[in-house]
Amino acid sequence: MMERLMETRRRILLRNSLARFQSLIALGAMLVAMTLLSNKFMTADNGRNILRQISVNLCLSVGMTLVVLTAGIDLSVGAILALSGAVAAGVLKNGIVLRHFHVMLQFTVFGAVLAGILTGLALGCFNGVTITRFGLPPFVATLGMFSIARGLTMLWTGGFPITDLGASFDYIGTGILFAIPMPVWISAAVVVMFVGVMGETKFGRYVYAVGGNELAAMLSGVPINRIKLWVYMWAGGLSGVAGLIITARLDSAQPNAGLGYELDSIAAVVIGGTSLSGGRGSIIGTVLGCVIIGVLNNGLFLLNVSPFWQQVVKGFVILIAVAIDRRNARET
Amino acid sequence: MNDSRWKSWLPRTGCLLGLVVVFWWAPPFHIVELNGVQQAHPAFDAVAFVDKFWFGRLAQSLDRATDAVVLEKAIRTDSKAAREKYGRVAGLGGDYYFFVAGEGRVVSVNQHEIALSLDADSSSTDVILETGNIFGNAVRDGTRLLNVSDFADSQDFNAISSEINRRIEEQVLPNLRAKAVVGAIVHFAGCAEVADEGTDLHPLLVVPVSAVVR
Repeated sequence: MMERLMETRRRILLRNSLARFQSLIALGAMLVAMTLLSNKFMTADNGRNILRQISVNLCLSVGMTLVVLTAGIDLSVGAILALSGAVAAGVLKNGIVLRHFHVMLQFTVFGAVLAGILTGLALGCFNGVTITRFGLPPFVATLGMFSIARGLTMLWTGGFPITDLGASFDYIGTGILFAIPMPVWISAAVVVMFVGVMGETKFGRYVYAVGGNELAAMLSGVPINRIKLWVYMWAGGLSGVAGLIITARLDSAQPNAGLGYELDSIAAVVIGGTSLSGGRGSIIGTVLGCVIIGVLNNGLFLLNVSPFWQQVVKGFVILIAVAIDRRNARET
Repeated sequence: MNDSRWKSWLPRTGCLLGLVVVFWWAPPFHIVELNGVQQAHPAFDAVAFVDKFWFGRLAQSLDRATDAVVLEKAIRTDSKAAREKYGRVAGLGGDYYFFVAGEGRVVSVNQHEIALSLDADSSSTDVILETGNIFGNAVRDGTRLLNVSDFADSQDFNAISSEINRRIEEQVLPNLRAKAVVGAIVHFAGCAEVADEGTDLHPLLVVPVSAVVR
């Protein structure tokens, strides 16, 4: 009897350990497999390449993690990315003309960066207001914002790319500091900041509390609406940062930038172990999720797998991750 | 009470002061007089550019367009070879263009297009002239007269396309729509944009830049 109990306990411990480190195990397995399959995979250049490629998704996914932790979803991050990038590029290139005063506001690179991030924050704030004040489900509210932001991007750009943004601005996306690309530094700073925020601040604890049990959190005095508002604002602001990176990297703001990026970011969050029902997950898990998707994309590309098959594989990976999450949720 | 209020305002005031210092040290924008900016960087005038282009280089190049009957035969024989010989690839998208001119008999007319037969004895549609709203870059990229690298700003290049399309809608299409009835002979020149190799080129969809109805 005692032996059977011990055996069951051992099995539960093993299962919990596997659940906790599932992303890391998956990443390790992929790294080994890709290294064996392609001799170009495990090189310093390719490593830098993967880090650069995932930096945009990382910024989006950190914001998405906050949203998903509150049991929400944000389908507008890709569209906000496009509008933020376009606004930054537009004000930098053309300034803002105030004909009534016969003056023009000629933006500096710093001003353009600020404009891009503020655009993201404002749109995220709009998402938060529609969800908390008007009670719209996050899926519907952010789907609406998806369309609004895409439309505004087309109106702002006239449907054409805004190009030639200057070397200083492009440095954000193409610069290299201490042998590491700038986008990697930026996304690393975002990660460090939010690991700190989620682990060390009241805000971080409230985010988990809202997602874990909203009613209990409300009865405990957690300002649920304010927390959600901030969460969507951060998601919007980080989409703005991602928009700046991608615009600077391409030296142009593309009207259709970030199409489908929301799915990649949700995938990274889920693969990283954050529960879609909220309250469970971590920024570090999301970083692992982003790296897994980055390694998967890069590895399949090196193996000459068709992009269509890459999408199929990525879809299956997401399904498996969600299935594992569901099973874990049932067992805990 | 006063102490706690002071404590709550202190960080906010600190943040505000910090922002003022940051903006003073690195201003997000400079205010400049509009007249000075316009003199230093005169804005690209797409209307004036297209006006000159339309009556100058474009008008002079109409007789250099590929003959529609020749192109139609080449497409029927080997569309890939026709593309190589008569087409022009522009940009990274893989779209290609034909600059074509010819004469055809109107076989049908509707609100958005006029169908032409290049063979006087046949009623088959070989060419369709678009007469609805004009979108895309068919004329700008199809005539081989304009090159994106000649323009410092890609938005200027895009503005040219919009202006050409507007001009076609205002100056070419109304007359064509009014006079083209079934049986009439139309002498046309224009450009066809082909999205990919799989596109059916029978009939060829042409944006007219010139159309005379007899």
